[in-house]
Amino acid sequence: MRLPIAIFAASVGLTAPSPLAAHHSFAAEFDGSKAMRLTGVLTKIEWTNPHSYFYLDVSEGGNIVKWTCEAGAPGALSRRGFKKGDLKLGDTLVVDGYLAKDGSHLIDARRVTLPDGRIVSGASAGDGGPGGAGQ
Amino acid sequence: MRDHGSVRCVAAAVLLALVLGSAAVLGQGENSLTAPDVKSARREAAPRAADGHPDLSGYWKGTTDTTPVGNIGKDLEGFKLPLTAAGEAALQHNLTATIDPESLCIIGGIPRHNASGLPFEVLQGAKKVAFLYWYSYFRLVPIDPKRAHSEDPDPSFFGEEIGHWEGDTLVIDSIGFKDEKVWIDENANPHSDALHVVERWTRPDADHIHVETLIEDAKFYTRPITYSRTWVAGKPDEELHEYSCSENNVDKDHLGFGPGPIRPDGTRGYLNPAPLPPPLPKPAR
Repeated sequence: MRLPIAIFAASVGLTAPSPLAAHHSFAAEFDGSKAMRLTGVLTKIEWTNPHSYFYLDVSEGGNIVKWTCEAGAPGALSRRGFKKGDLKLGDTLVVDGYLAKDGSHLIDARRVTLPDGRIVSGASAGDGGPGGAGQ
Repeated sequence: MRDHGSVRCVAAAVLLALVLGSAAVLGQGENSLTAPDVKSARREAAPRAADGHPDLSGYWKGTTDTTPVGNIGKDLEGFKLPLTAAGEAALQHNLTATIDPESLCIIGGIPRHNASGLPFEVLQGAKKVAFLYWYSYFRLVPIDPKRAHSEDPDPSFFGEEIGHWEGDTLVIDSIGFKDEKVWIDENANPHSDALHVVERWTRPDADHIHVETLIEDAKFYTRPITYSRTWVAGKPDEELHEYSCSENNVDKDHLGFGPGPIRPDGTRGYLNPAPLPPPLPKPAR
């Protein structure tokens, strides 16, 4: 199985809206005013279409809250050069993204910081969201 | 802003400007789905099929010259579609009461697929031409100048399509469209069951494919509209792959109605989204 998510310099971070079209519009599902950062332990990965998902246990006020992080489709992520093994269950990840408009524990993972400090883009290509450009 | 984990809002306009300026870095590389058109200078003649017609076969990618993508009003002033009153009501319905059908893994149909940013493949035969799309959808168009439309075609997303050649132009005439669970583009614009689409496909040279589209829908549009577009050939090793849209469509339970806000440039998305927290510094080695 080939894995998703593009590795790019920390200085890049976000990109302008892309001319591409995605499976769904970013703004149909996520709130552009609710940027957020999660730090949690990776418990599950789904390299699936139309999106890849990874799941984090996040400590909030003494409780563990399960978060779903949406990323680009496997094909998009593998085209960006992400290698199998870049994510491992049990890793602590820092995920920067936007909260779902329905308020559920779901974010669009636009940027993922791996335990070794590498930063990868989880953005869905061309969905009109920040960092959605390209692939 | 919520306090989940370490949720932070960063009012770093400078950072946003910096990162927005880096748009060309990501996604415009050799393997991106949309490519800058760097092949215009190399004008090899279009290949021809055994029957002498231009061969439209190939893997075709949208170019960065096409903006806004996903907007059927791309070629109209202000991207303003000439909606009838019924068309305006249908648009409002789409915006406020329907989820993007394509995000629910429903076929986008024509002309929506022609407005998409996603690559597609064409396989041309003497009597049929196949258009293969990113989401593993296809349409198979008969090429038969003697064939006429059915009296009462069963409604479908691609419509009843009939192709014929006019010189070096492949003309595809389509009627018989569905009028529910359809958006005519990514912006939720509507079409009715009266939709009539005439696509005129050409291959002006080896590296480009072009369509001129006439879109008629007297129920929802006061006059016919046109949509033109050119795609560029992908690299020889580029091709479509499996894409099982409903494999794990978590989105379907979270998507809101409509595409969300439309920017003045005709694209979808927030005009000024909140910036993400700044990237973490790289750990010292």
